[in-house]
Amino acid sequence: MISFLIKGILRDRSKSLIPIVIISIGVTLTVLTTGYVTGALSDIVDQNAKLDTGHLKVMTKPYAENKDQIPNDLALLGLEELITSLQTQFPDVLWTPRIRFGGILDVPDQNGNTKSQGPGMGLAVNLLNPNSGEGTRLNLDKALVRGRIPQNPGEVVLSEFFAQKLEVDLGKELTFFGSSMEGSMVFYKFILIGTVKFGIPAMDKSAFVIDVTDAQRVLDMQDGSGELLGYLPFEIYDDAKASEIATTFNAQYDKSDDEYAPVMLTLKQQNNLGSTLDYSQTVVSLFIFIFVFAMSIVLWNTGLIGGLRRYKEFGIRLALGESKRKVYRLLLAEASIIGIIGSLIGTSIGLAGTYYLQIVGIDISKYIENSTIIMPSVIRARVTSNLFFIGFIPGLLSMLFGTMLSGRGIFKRDTARLFNELEV
Amino acid sequence: MNSISRIVLLFIFGSSLTLQGQSTSITADEILKKVDANMIADTQIVSSEMIVYGKRKSRTIKSKGYSRGSDKHFTEYLSPEREKGTKMLKLEDRLWIYSPATDRIIQLSGHLLRQSVMGSDLSYEDMMEERKLTDIYTASTLSIEELDNRQTYKMELLAKVEDVSYYKRILWIDTARFVPLKEELYAKSGKLLKKTSLSEVKQIQGRWYPTKINYKDMLKDGQGTDFIVNEIIFNPAIADRLFLKSTLKN
Amino acid sequence: MKLALKLAFKNIYGAGLRTILNVIVLSFSFVIIIFLNGVMDGWNAQAKKDTIEWEYGYGQLRHKDYDPYDPYTILDSHAPIPENRPDLTPILIHQASIYPEGRMMNIVLKGIPADQQTLLLPTSHLNAQEKQYPVIIGKRFAASSKLNVGDEVLLRWRDVNGTYDANTIYISAIFDSNVPTIDDGQIWMNINNLWQMTDQVNEATLLVLNETSTPLESTLWNFTSQKELLSTIEEIIATKKISSSIMYILLLAIALLAIFDTQVLSIFRRQKEIGTYVALGMTRRKVVGLFTVEGSMYSILALFLASLYGTPFFIFIKKIGIPVAEADQEVGLAIAERIFPIYGFSLVIGTVIVVVLASTIVSFLPARKIAKINPVSALKGKIQ
Repeated sequence: MISFLIKGILRDRSKSLIPIVIISIGVTLTVLTTGYVTGALSDIVDQNAKLDTGHLKVMTKPYAENKDQIPNDLALLGLEELITSLQTQFPDVLWTPRIRFGGILDVPDQNGNTKSQGPGMGLAVNLLNPNSGEGTRLNLDKALVRGRIPQNPGEVVLSEFFAQKLEVDLGKELTFFGSSMEGSMVFYKFILIGTVKFGIPAMDKSAFVIDVTDAQRVLDMQDGSGELLGYLPFEIYDDAKASEIATTFNAQYDKSDDEYAPVMLTLKQQNNLGSTLDYSQTVVSLFIFIFVFAMSIVLWNTGLIGGLRRYKEFGIRLALGESKRKVYRLLLAEASIIGIIGSLIGTSIGLAGTYYLQIVGIDISKYIENSTIIMPSVIRARVTSNLFFIGFIPGLLSMLFGTMLSGRGIFKRDTARLFNELEV
Repeated sequence: MNSISRIVLLFIFGSSLTLQGQSTSITADEILKKVDANMIADTQIVSSEMIVYGKRKSRTIKSKGYSRGSDKHFTEYLSPEREKGTKMLKLEDRLWIYSPATDRIIQLSGHLLRQSVMGSDLSYEDMMEERKLTDIYTASTLSIEELDNRQTYKMELLAKVEDVSYYKRILWIDTARFVPLKEELYAKSGKLLKKTSLSEVKQIQGRWYPTKINYKDMLKDGQGTDFIVNEIIFNPAIADRLFLKSTLKN
Repeated sequence: MKLALKLAFKNIYGAGLRTILNVIVLSFSFVIIIFLNGVMDGWNAQAKKDTIEWEYGYGQLRHKDYDPYDPYTILDSHAPIPENRPDLTPILIHQASIYPEGRMMNIVLKGIPADQQTLLLPTSHLNAQEKQYPVIIGKRFAASSKLNVGDEVLLRWRDVNGTYDANTIYISAIFDSNVPTIDDGQIWMNINNLWQMTDQVNEATLLVLNETSTPLESTLWNFTSQKELLSTIEEIIATKKISSSIMYILLLAIALLAIFDTQVLSIFRRQKEIGTYVALGMTRRKVVGLFTVEGSMYSILALFLASLYGTPFFIFIKKIGIPVAEADQEVGLAIAERIFPIYGFSLVIGTVIVVVLASTIVSFLPARKIAKINPVSALKGKIQ
C-alpha cells in the first residue's frame, strides 16, 4: 500500500513536488534558524569561553581563590603530567594552558640604552602548536593589524596602540623586564612580529601576546601554567558534559592534602556566566518557539491547500466506490509520506547548512570597521541535538494537521459536490 | 644584596640629630653618632644572602655589594643560576639593572621604583633613600628598654621634612654596643607599617655588626624577608670603574 | 488599479483561513523585526545614558598627562581646579592598597565632592559623620573584595610627597551601576578627605562637565567630548545589530515562503479565473498586476494585524523592559538588568517598506507565469 502511495506521489508531480519542495525549504529554514539563533545568542558566553573561562578551567585551589590578582606564584605545576592524565581520562576535550602576567616592555636604542618603556599586560597562549587552535579561537588572525602571529619562540604580538606608543617597528627587539613566578627579576628578549587590535580599550593600551613556552621560560614556570583551559568538541559548551567532567576530576582530589591541588571549574561556575547561560537558553527557546510556530502555520497551510486541491479527485474516487474513510486515511498516509520526505530532506539540508555555518560561520567583519578580538567578527551557528527532530514539528505534524482539516470536507460534502468542486 | 648595607645605612647618618627628650644621660645625638662610628665606613664590601619566603617555597639569593659613601652602590648577584651575573648600579637617585641574558641595561625610574625587589618585602625605593636620617628626622630618646636580654635606648624619629616615606620611626639601640636591634616604621596616622629586627650581632674588624636582619611588611601576611651578612669588609679599596654605568656590561 | 485592488481584496478575503494564516505569519515578522531593532536601539540608548549619567557627564577635561588605561600616569596627573567653574565636577584619582584579611589589593581611590549633582554616584553617603573616612564602592568591587556595607578595611596610601599613610575606611554604601568602569577596583571618597589625606588640596585629575558647561581653553586640561567617549559603545552595538538582523531575515524568509507558496497554488487553482479575466479583455499584465497586488495585500493586512496586537505588546515591553542576565562585563560595556526598547519612527517606517516590498516581489515571481498563459487551456484548467 505504502509503495503504491509512494509511486503515486512520485508520478503526480503536482501532488508531490511542490509540497515536498515547500516542506523541505520550510524545514531547512527552521533547522537553520534554530541553529543560528542558538549560536548567535550564545556569543557573550562564547566570547568568555574563548578569552577567559574555557569550557573548563583547571587552577590550583589558592590560585582560584585569588584569581582576580593573577597570582602566578600559585600556578599549576607538573603541567605535562596533568595534561596527559586529562587527555587519557577525557579524550574528547582539548586542553590548552594560558598564562597571564605583567611586566615592563623596554625598547632599546642603538646603544642598548632604554629608548622607551611601558607597563604591559601579557597573555601567553599556545601559538606554536597549530593543533591548539588558539590563534583562531582568539581571533588573532583577523584582529591582526600588521605582521603575523608568532610562529617561533621569542616572537611577540603587541596591540597596535602599544606598539605605536613604544615607537617600535616590526622586526625590532623589545626586552621584557618583570618578575618570575617566585619573584625573581627576569629579562627576556622578544622580536615584535605583529600588532593586533583587541577591541577593549584597557587591553589595546598595553597588552601583548606570546607563546606559552616563552612565558614558561620567562616566568621561570617550567612545566607550569596559571590556568589550564579545556574546550569540548567543536568548541561547543555542553553544561551537562562539562559538569560531569569537572565532578569526576574534582572527586580525585577531594581528599588530597596538597594545598596546591588542582581544581576544575566549568564555564557556568565562572564570571557570573551561569545566569547568562540560563538566560540565553530561555531566549533561544522563545525564539525557536516563535519560528517553529510560524513555520507550522506555513506548512499547515501547505497541507490544507494540498487537500483542497484534490477535492475533484476525491469525488471521482468516492464515485468509483471507495469508502470516505479509506479516502481520508489514504490522504493522511500520503501527507505523512510527503511530510516525512520533506522533513528528511529539509533536516538534512538544514543540518548541513548549520554545520557549515558552525565551521565557517558568517563573516561580518566587512560590515564592521575594525575587526577586533573581543567582538566576534564571525557569527557561528550551532548544531545541537534538537535540530535533528525540530524540523519534523512543522514539516510532518503541521502538514498532517492541515491535511486533516482540509480532508474533513470529504465527510462533510456529498460525492457529487466534491466531484464538481473544481468544475466552476 | 645591597639592601643590607642600605638598611643599615638608614640608621647611621645620625651625625647632627637635634636632641629633644632628655630622659637619659646620653643625648640622642650622641647615641646616633656612636652608632655611626660603629657601623659606617667610607667604603664597604658585603657578601650576603637574602631569603625570600614565598607562599610555596623560599628562595635564597646571594649577592656581593660594594658601596662608597651613601650615593654609590654596586651589586652583583651570584646565585641562583637565573640571577647570576645580574648587576645593579645606583648612583645618587638613578638605578640601572644589567642582565647578562639579554645584554641590556635597563633604567628604572618613577613608578617602577615602587615595585618589590626580587619578590621581597622591600621596594627599590626603600633602597634608594639618599638623605641622612638626621636631615629628615628629628630624634629623641624615649626610654631605656630591655629587648632580647639587651639594654636598649628606645628612640623616636619624627619627620621634619615632607617628602619622606615614613613619617615616624622607632629605633631600639643596644646601649653597650651601639647597634640597632629593632626598628618600626609608622604611617602618618600612627599605623605600624613595617618592622625590622636585627640580630646575631657579631664583632667584625673591631665593630659590632648585626648579621641577620628580618624585614617585614606588617599589613601583609607572611614572615617577611631575611638578610644574612656572610662577610663584611670595612674600608676596602674599591676601583672607581665599578661605579660607572659603562662598565656594567663587563 | 482600483479594480485590481478591489478584486485583490475580495479574492484574499474570500480565501479565509489561508489568508489569516499568511497574515499571522507575516505580522510576526513585522513585530519581531521592530522588536529586535527596538531592543538594540534601546540597549544602545541605555548604555549611553548610563555611561553619561555615571561616568562621562557632558564630556570630560582630563589632565594632559592622565591616561585612564595607564595607572602609572596617575601619580603625576593632577593640577589645581580651574577657578570660577562651579559647573565642573572635579575628580581626584590616587593609587592605594587595601588589606582585607592580610591580602594586599591594589585599588584606585577617587575623590569626588559629596554634594556634586552631575553624576549619579550616591556621593551624599560620603558625608556620613560618624566615621572619619566613609567611602562608597560599586557592587562588582564589593563582590570581588568581599566587602559589605558597614565593613571597615585598612587602606594604605602615599601622600603627594610619597609619605606612607594608613587608616581605616568605612564602607557607607554600595552602589548599583551598570557601568563597570566606575566600579571595578575603585573606591570613591569625599574629595575633601582625599585632598587632606594626600596633601593635594583643590587639585583634580579630571573634571566632568555638566549640561551647561562650555569647554575650557587650557593647555593643562585636554577636552574629550561626550561623543568621543561614547564611540566604543556605538561600535559594539553595531556588531550586535548585524547578528540580530540575520535572525529576522530568516524569519522574514519564512513569512515570504508562505506567501510564495500561497501564490503558486492559487495561480494553479485559479487557472479558469485567469482564463476568464483574459477572455474578458484584461491584459495579461493587468492580471499579473492583480495577483501581485493580491500577494502584497497580505503584507498590508499583516501590518494591520501586527499593529493590532503589536502596539499593546510594544507598549507593555517598553514599560516593563526586558530582563537581561548578568552578562559579564568583559567588554566594559554598560548592560542594564533590564533593557527598555526604543521604537524609532524610521525603524517602523523602514520595516513596513521592507516587508511590503519583499512580499510584493515574492508575489510577483510566481505571477509572472500568467503572462505566458494560453487563455484557452487556462479556461479548461489544463495548465500544469
